[in-house]
Amino acid sequence: MSTSSTSILGTYTKTITVVALVLFLLVFSFSGLRRDIWLELYEFFLWLETTPFGLIGKTWGAVFAVVEAFHLLSMALLGGAVIVSDARLLGWVFTDIPVQEIQDKAHRVFVMGLIVVLATGVFMACGVAGKLYWLPVFWYKMLALATGIFFVFFIRKPMLKGDIDKINPTVVKLVAISSMLVWMTVAATGRWIGFAGS
Amino acid sequence: MTDKNTNSEKMDDVQMAAVAISATIIIFFVIYWSIQIQSVRDLLEMAYG
Repeated sequence: MSTSSTSILGTYTKTITVVALVLFLLVFSFSGLRRDIWLELYEFFLWLETTPFGLIGKTWGAVFAVVEAFHLLSMALLGGAVIVSDARLLGWVFTDIPVQEIQDKAHRVFVMGLIVVLATGVFMACGVAGKLYWLPVFWYKMLALATGIFFVFFIRKPMLKGDIDKINPTVVKLVAISSMLVWMTVAATGRWIGFAGS
Repeated sequence: MTDKNTNSEKMDDVQMAAVAISATIIIFFVIYWSIQIQSVRDLLEMAYG
């Protein structure tokens, strides 16, 4: 005995959330609020450099380099998981292995890679926070990373947990392509940070 | 009509959300990287003519 309005919201919760988030991001991007928040964050970024992570990262270049090595290796792990699972959804590779099996195993690898990427990424960001703050590409990377994480755990994983044969094949392919694009953007903007600024 | 057929024809909530976010990602990707490529082309043109 649910009303029609609650049933519409209940049935399309994810769609409404996605559309609302996209609209919010658009409004946020073109409003003064983005600049105000960015200015407010400056003190926080300066503080990050004074934390133990920031001090270690700035003082011992070797530690930073080793952590960066783990960051890149885990990024490769994450990227590999993304490529394997998405290429399988597109029917490019491992077509003799069931889709669900590839998705489940690749997702476990993805989660491991993501945890290490985030942990090492926070450490590295503390060491160069003052530089990152001024780099537009850093903020685009954060946007892409947040979108990628949201996309995987809110859309991709729930959509693929059931019988994939029941999903519209065009939607499956669209999800696979956009997944590769968003993680490629995360990787490319991440490497760009290394070459940007001084 | 079987259950399987109805599901494949009618998109549910998560599939509609997937289409919305995928379209957003693809549009953003095309715009963002087009701007970056154009800025590199402009820089190269300024440097080498």
